Amino acid sequence: MIVEEKPKTGRQPLAAGRKELKEVIETCDAIEKRKFNPFFLDVKLGVDTLREYFPLWAEFEDNCLDAHALNRLSEVVRLQNTQLKFQSSALYAEPEFVAKKFQRMSEKRLAEVFLQSWHPLAELEQLTNEAVSSGLDYWNLLLPIQERWKRRDYARGKNPESADDTTLTGLGIRGEEFEAHLRGLWKELTNLQNSEKGPVDYWKFIKAASHQETVQRAYFVSFLVTYGFAKMQIGGELITLIPNEQPTNKPAEGGISVPIAIPSEA
Amino acid sequence: MTETETQTETKSFYSDKLKRAVHLLFFRRGKMPGAKEWELKEKVGKNYQQVLDQLGTMLSELDLEIKKVTEPASGQMVSDESGVQMEEPRYYVILKGSLGLKEAKMIGWRIDNLAALSGIIAYIVAKQGKTPREDVEKLAAQKYGRWKAMTLVDIFLRAGYLEEDDAGVMSLGWRTKAEVNLPALMTKMTEGKA
Repeated sequence: MIVEEKPKTGRQPLAAGRKELKEVIETCDAIEKRKFNPFFLDVKLGVDTLREYFPLWAEFEDNCLDAHALNRLSEVVRLQNTQLKFQSSALYAEPEFVAKKFQRMSEKRLAEVFLQSWHPLAELEQLTNEAVSSGLDYWNLLLPIQERWKRRDYARGKNPESADDTTLTGLGIRGEEFEAHLRGLWKELTNLQNSEKGPVDYWKFIKAASHQETVQRAYFVSFLVTYGFAKMQIGGELITLIPNEQPTNKPAEGGISVPIAIPSEA
Repeated sequence: MTETETQTETKSFYSDKLKRAVHLLFFRRGKMPGAKEWELKEKVGKNYQQVLDQLGTMLSELDLEIKKVTEPASGQMVSDESGVQMEEPRYYVILKGSLGLKEAKMIGWRIDNLAALSGIIAYIVAKQGKTPREDVEKLAAQKYGRWKAMTLVDIFLRAGYLEEDDAGVMSLGWRTKAEVNLPALMTKMTEGKA
């Protein structure tokens, strides 16, 4: 239950009342966004809270807050009503149960289940005024083919060439030098983790004086992760690196590829 | 006027209207296929329902049927008696029967995508038609990995099977409401063997 019962000793300060009303509103909003079950909130307790603080409100804003909280509570009551109707319908199933079924069922079986209840639309696609108009806009903005070929010529780099062992070793991406560089980077990561006492930010670690060096460090970091020198953790937009105490020096099993774009300003 | 003459007149009257109804239902004019009730009223006439009934009889021989989809204005899953304001119904032509796995592949669907769609729709239904996007991605990620889960959700959004509002809450899209028999899906999903 989100709204906690409070001692009924005299009048609470206005600030405490506002805080409690805001908590009620936040809980109601979370329920509306399906983060909680509608029965998670004790509506009666919510109404009692509103009733208790109502005589204290003198400011216009406080009365608005009170009205808003009451409105949110009524929305929760409506959702509770909908939930009860839903539970008595043929569509009712526990979300956790459905999630477990989804994990356990094979892809083929899941696809069969879907196909048995799927009746795809029959329609014919055709050009619409909107599609013709956007096509015309694209055509009008398109440069003549000679212009576009000129641009491609400028962008064309050196033709691909084959590289032998000596070239690769010289570039520092093969041989003993490569491994020494990896170990050096691993030690640097370990030292940074010890000084920061926690996972190291990926972007902070690969950042170098020039874009070329940044890309090079990102390239070596990908080998650190692949060959078990470090672990990469991705949580939303935050990417962190944790060095392993004992590098395995072997590709990790069950690993996944993570494409990371490095912008030129990085 | 003899009885035969009356029958001929009725037949030709319907034939013209049937053609107009077919054009409206089969050919996509805007972003969505099908026709709204007011379009049918305007182009086919007040007795459009009788025309649709006759067209439905003809289409059933081709394993097709006309489906009327009414959804609440808020996009929530509620029954018609709840008093919630409803949008105007839209009529679609859908397959009456169902497709096999091979047929589904032939029309461009991957089996793993169909499997993911099945699980995601059933999960959203179990959550009463609305759930945060993170929950949907987490569900799919447990089976397909995080990156593929995100891609799949985007594919289903683009195809119209899912919808997402500004607050990141996902609900069933217009295509799911038109194409999927939800009670059948939920029954098969809960009964389904691994």
